[in-house]
Amino acid sequence: MKILIADDSRVMRQIVTRTLRQAGFGDHDLVEAADGKEALDKATAEAPDLVISDWNMPEMTGVEVLRTLRATGNGVKFGFVTSECTPEMQQQAEAAGAAFFIVKPFTAERFDEVFSPILG
Amino acid sequence: MSVDVVVNEEDLAEVAGEVWVSYLDPDGVSPLVPTGDEKQPSEVHASVSISGPWTGHVVYASSTEAARKAAAAFLAMDSSEVSSEDLCDVLGELANIVGGNVKAMLPPGCLLSLPQVVLAPESATKYPNAERISGLYGVWDGEPVSISMWQSRDDKNEESA
Repeated sequence: MKILIADDSRVMRQIVTRTLRQAGFGDHDLVEAADGKEALDKATAEAPDLVISDWNMPEMTGVEVLRTLRATGNGVKFGFVTSECTPEMQQQAEAAGAAFFIVKPFTAERFDEVFSPILG
Repeated sequence: MSVDVVVNEEDLAEVAGEVWVSYLDPDGVSPLVPTGDEKQPSEVHASVSISGPWTGHVVYASSTEAARKAAAAFLAMDSSEVSSEDLCDVLGELANIVGGNVKAMLPPGCLLSLPQVVLAPESATKYPNAERISGLYGVWDGEPVSISMWQSRDDKNEESA
């Protein structure tokens, strides 16, 4: 499967990648995006099976990316890995069609719990 | 609208504890040890601004060596390999993570900025109309690390109005 990791922080993209490996999902094809616009472009052009996105990014926020994808009929599995976790954000994410909401800092166990049902 | 301060040293210590367990000290052998020393020196810092019902800044500051160790831990590399770019990126991410978790403790409607990183002591950055309201000061492997909260003075004035 192909996974798109969208985060403006190079460090966090690396940590997400490493944590995916630690959780046993290292064999998947990983693609990266460094801001919201790039995430939207690659979510379309690369046709990933899963998008793991930060919330707060330059150009477009993660939830704006998700809403735009859904508005154009793209139903890719999409969720958030973010340092921010308020009930209003979780509601917005859910309403936009997010499949998961992971709060930083996170562990490999948390990734396993969330991604096992999705990635198998 | 303004709010009372709801994030204290214990709350900051809880956030720091999660960061250390997840990324900086996953084996639990080198935690951040609180000292309460508000005057401890720093050489680098990163901050995020929060605006809305609570307005202010969350600042992560440390020695350069502590930042280098943090970068090495985050990026799974030897600390001698850490570049200035690595240092900046990790400091920004630390401020972002801490700020995001702090925001979750504040009233709904607050907005978090992208992080600002400064490779200079915390004292080099001034926060106009803001004052420090709480802070976690400690050492990590003998190196100073702090997380502090600065609240907009306008907010403080409204609170007492």
